[in-house]
Amino acid sequence: MLETAVLSVDRVNKRFGGILALQDLSFEVQAGEVLGLMGPNGAGKTTLLNVIAGTYSPSSGRVNFRGRNITGFPAHKVCHLGIARTYQIPQPFTSLSARQNILVAAKYGGKKAAGMEHDKIFDLVNLSEQKDMLARDLATVSLKRLELARALASNPTLILLDEIAAGSTDAELPRILGMIEEIRKMGKTVVLVEHVMKVMVEAVDRIIVIDKGAKIAEGTPGEVMKDEKVMAAYFG
Amino acid sequence: MKIPRLTTLASVAVLVVLALFPVIGVPLSWLNYLFTFFIYLALANMWNLLAGYTGLICLCPHAFVGLAGYTLAIGTWVGVPFQAGLIAGAAVAALFALIISYPVFRMKGIYFAIGTLILPEVLKAWFNFWRPVGNAYQGMGAGYSVKGVAGVTLGDTYWLALAIAAASIFLVHIILRARLGLGLKAIRDNENTAASSGVNIFRLKLSSFLIAAFIMGLAGAAYFIFSPRIQPTGGFTISWLLLPLMATVIGGEGSEEGPIIGAAIVTFLRFLLADYGAWSLLIQGIILLVVVVVMPQGIAGLLRQVGAYRFPQKLFQAAEGKIRKA
Repeated sequence: MLETAVLSVDRVNKRFGGILALQDLSFEVQAGEVLGLMGPNGAGKTTLLNVIAGTYSPSSGRVNFRGRNITGFPAHKVCHLGIARTYQIPQPFTSLSARQNILVAAKYGGKKAAGMEHDKIFDLVNLSEQKDMLARDLATVSLKRLELARALASNPTLILLDEIAAGSTDAELPRILGMIEEIRKMGKTVVLVEHVMKVMVEAVDRIIVIDKGAKIAEGTPGEVMKDEKVMAAYFG
Repeated sequence: MKIPRLTTLASVAVLVVLALFPVIGVPLSWLNYLFTFFIYLALANMWNLLAGYTGLICLCPHAFVGLAGYTLAIGTWVGVPFQAGLIAGAAVAALFALIISYPVFRMKGIYFAIGTLILPEVLKAWFNFWRPVGNAYQGMGAGYSVKGVAGVTLGDTYWLALAIAAASIFLVHIILRARLGLGLKAIRDNENTAASSGVNIFRLKLSSFLIAAFIMGLAGAAYFIFSPRIQPTGGFTISWLLLPLMATVIGGEGSEEGPIIGAAIVTFLRFLLADYGAWSLLIQGIILLVVVVVMPQGIAGLLRQVGAYRFPQKLFQAAEGKIRKA
């Protein structure tokens, strides 16, 4: 089991002053898996992504990626090793065009094998018509897609998606599910933070639920939804 | 925006004409004005590389200029020819940038700006009492004259400054079209996203900082070959910061032509207002204020907004088409 884990998080704690944002959190993500991360607001989902991506270093514990200890690695090095992430609130390079935005990730993302052609990435995220527009002129929905495009451009092994569907209309959800499916088909491993239940239930293989920084449940979407602790965390 | 190749030819032609000025008998006062313009242009170009393309509001160009000047001057006292001193001065400025990079890059935005602003003041105080060679310069404390430059004509320093200014333009032009330029712009726009896209923020900022320090050092040393006396107050004067800053902001930060336009205006104002002393600073300050409020993208930004480049671009493209046909 351990040999196939792409990512393993081992007893990670993250403390901000007096607040313990992550408590003894451990889990593994298998190669090719789509793992869902769930939890009420403030549960620590984004903090966890930040710890994995190297934006924060954990206060204690280990993060292993493809058998290598990457705990405390700076963000650019984590990216070079093959982890890409999107931001919940889009963080584009505002004065650059959409094309240049993904060019940054493609040129600096590391010395890995050549990734997808940029036009194919734009097709996948449905941004082909806006690729020469400046990021500052793009609507929020397009910026969310640009986040995904940029993450793909560094040709990652593991991709961390932070609320990629938040703010989308119901009509757009099949498209987003389709994108996640495409990414899975490329053989990439995905960790997905999401509040939109439809995406969670249909896209992921397994769900981990965290509350107040600690893991409270783990299992298939069906199992997790029936869990009493999960119900209690969400509905009190 | 595709730049027609004729623009390259035109720039080379301008460069050649400027280079011919000293030999075709252009008035010496003109050479003097242009020399000043070239020095300001090189400084402004580098300030723009930092502020406009890397997002570093660097308030210590006078540290680089002063250090390069002192290196040049002290070098000539221990037998280093001024030509070698020029390069050594630039190298010392870059070395200083390297040494301060670790502490100052830990600060961001306004804190970086304030952190860098302190450095020249420290150097000014240091050079007030540190006197490695020679006796007091004309009884005035810590000044040095630059020796061995008596044979250097205005034409020579003019060519030197022209070469430095042209190199600074060419350098920025190359950087912006290379991988480095893309990374710098990414850092300027969003450091977090740049880092998570694989950009090594520290290394790229350092590259930009070292290049700027070296070229600013060259420009500074060239100035002290032209005006061969240096004192702590003159070497580390805040003017070396304010002039490129004003030139960049007035001309248009984050554009390649901005510093050229801005440096021309700043030079013109400097000579125009030379007789009015403190009033000149007030007038320049008012101009700066008006530019920041009325055209935040500078003159270059305004020109772009009103489409002033479209006509010459069309003209160039049409001309190029005709040349190809013929």
